[in-house]
Amino acid sequence: MITAQGLTKRYGDTTAVDSIDFTVRPGAVTGFLGPNGAGKSTTMRMVMGLDRPSAGSVTVNGRAYRDHPAPLHEIGALLEAKAIHGGRTAYNHLLWMAKSNGIPRRRVDEVIDLVGLSEVARKRSGGFSLGMGQRLGIAAALLGDPGVLLFDEPVNGLDPDGIRWIRTLIRSLAAEGRTVFVSSHLMSEMALTADHLIVIGRGQILADTDMNDFISRNSTSYVHVRSPHGSELAERLVAHGWRVEPADDGALAVHDAAPEQVGDVAGAAGLYLHELRNVQASLEDAFMRLTADSVEYQAGVPGAATTTADTSAEFAAAAA
Amino acid sequence: MSTAVLDRDPSAASPTPTSPAPGVSFARILDAEWTKIRTVRSTVWSLIAMVTVSVGGTALVCWGAASELASDESNEPVGAFLTWGLLFGQIAALVLGILVASSEYSSGMIRTTLAAVPRRGSVLVAKAAVLAGVLLVLGVATTLASYLAGNFFLDREGIGFALDDPGVLRTIVGGGLYLAMLGVFGLALGTLIRHTAGAVTVGIAVIFVVGNLIGLVPGVVGEWLEKLMPGNAGQMVAVVEWFDPDALDPWVGFAVFSAETLVLLAIAGLLFSRRDA
Repeated sequence: MITAQGLTKRYGDTTAVDSIDFTVRPGAVTGFLGPNGAGKSTTMRMVMGLDRPSAGSVTVNGRAYRDHPAPLHEIGALLEAKAIHGGRTAYNHLLWMAKSNGIPRRRVDEVIDLVGLSEVARKRSGGFSLGMGQRLGIAAALLGDPGVLLFDEPVNGLDPDGIRWIRTLIRSLAAEGRTVFVSSHLMSEMALTADHLIVIGRGQILADTDMNDFISRNSTSYVHVRSPHGSELAERLVAHGWRVEPADDGALAVHDAAPEQVGDVAGAAGLYLHELRNVQASLEDAFMRLTADSVEYQAGVPGAATTTADTSAEFAAAAA
Repeated sequence: MSTAVLDRDPSAASPTPTSPAPGVSFARILDAEWTKIRTVRSTVWSLIAMVTVSVGGTALVCWGAASELASDESNEPVGAFLTWGLLFGQIAALVLGILVASSEYSSGMIRTTLAAVPRRGSVLVAKAAVLAGVLLVLGVATTLASYLAGNFFLDREGIGFALDDPGVLRTIVGGGLYLAMLGVFGLALGTLIRHTAGAVTVGIAVIFVVGNLIGLVPGVVGEWLEKLMPGNAGQMVAVVEWFDPDALDPWVGFAVFSAETLVLLAIAGLLFSRRDA
């Protein structure tokens, strides 16, 4: 169980993580999704006690990380692929870690077998491929057989085999009853791995929801319509109570309406249509919409603060 | 050390029931740091450099200078040549100390270290202890070998030193102590600066360049600054006789250097505990 309360990290004038609250529960994979720079890694470093929060707190199983007498038994982390000295062999890297926490030497051999590095365990890790480095990082995370696991972008740069291996491992760790917290900037990856989803953008939680709910809520469709009378058509569609957004090159995206309804409105008003089709929004699109908002604010739109609040409220309402 | 109780579903029970209570203790941190320092090549290379440069340099200079030193016109302090190579060999000890800290930052491993052992003060003290232990043992061996090699050439000219001559044993032990303390000085610098090249530059500048130039400050102020500079103060314990007649007494000098190093280490520890890793 990981619990964050009002967790905040500021670097000078920049707020990387802005008073976030969340809970990561055991027995499930919780995805931590956000674009690069959203505050995922900063949050994870604060969980591990590496970065000091500017305000608020985060605990692992009820205690701050540094207060655990045997940290590697409590939480295992894959923070970065290369949090390893390249001049040391994989075996020796795991050995010093094991010694620091009083973990028996045979456990080192076990985790090496578990991640499939037996053949290269006595080689210096500097020569490892990205995938092998990632496996070594995972061996280190599993070394103390911890109940809480934290993976920061575990599939980054891996080949399809490696991705599938990590995905299966993550699922099985959660199935064993462990708390698993996985960050990613790929919605598609999260959809395959996570049971629960926490979306972060610009240091704020944009959504904290069950994965199935998120999928069903966001797998909605909209009508893509293009007309030479775009603005007039938009007015009439809005008058019907539908939400209309501008799409690429003058087209409109009409939400909550069927294509035939949009066509009928245009026909009744005598407006020509050049294109009319139904678009099935993907999860990736849903995620892009969420985070595009947060990126927009980053560019300094006037009144950004209030708009952000609106968005949060909207998502809170949607999640409820 | 108390046992960490994993509060979770029994189906997730450990595949390896551990016999000794798991947990971090200072002895275990020491063991971990010892494992770290002996499992990278940079340690081996630094120590080989320290020994060969110190011993080789001393042998070379004594071989070249022995006959001139033995002549009547010479008024050089002969004992200063017995550990002459240390002047350059000590750079390896400084660099090793720096690397113990800075290589963790350049590789990103500091995060793994602090994830395994969140008690940062203990990590730094353990690093210092392991480093000092290694350098003390090899440092004494270095100064002993240096004395034996240099003295071989001095003896041939009849100006050699016996082991029980004043200052000789003190130099052999003191050389080891100085190299150990210099390594800790490097560790503190590496922890403060967190960058190998930067820390090496600052370290060499402080020990060698500034130490030699600061005497140019006029008057008694310059005199004292020169005596108190870390390298100048610390090295006195590692030579049988010295070139500079105004220098501090060996053990006073070493005490000054030790105090300077421990203050620097304390500052490094304070920042290490507060900074984000």
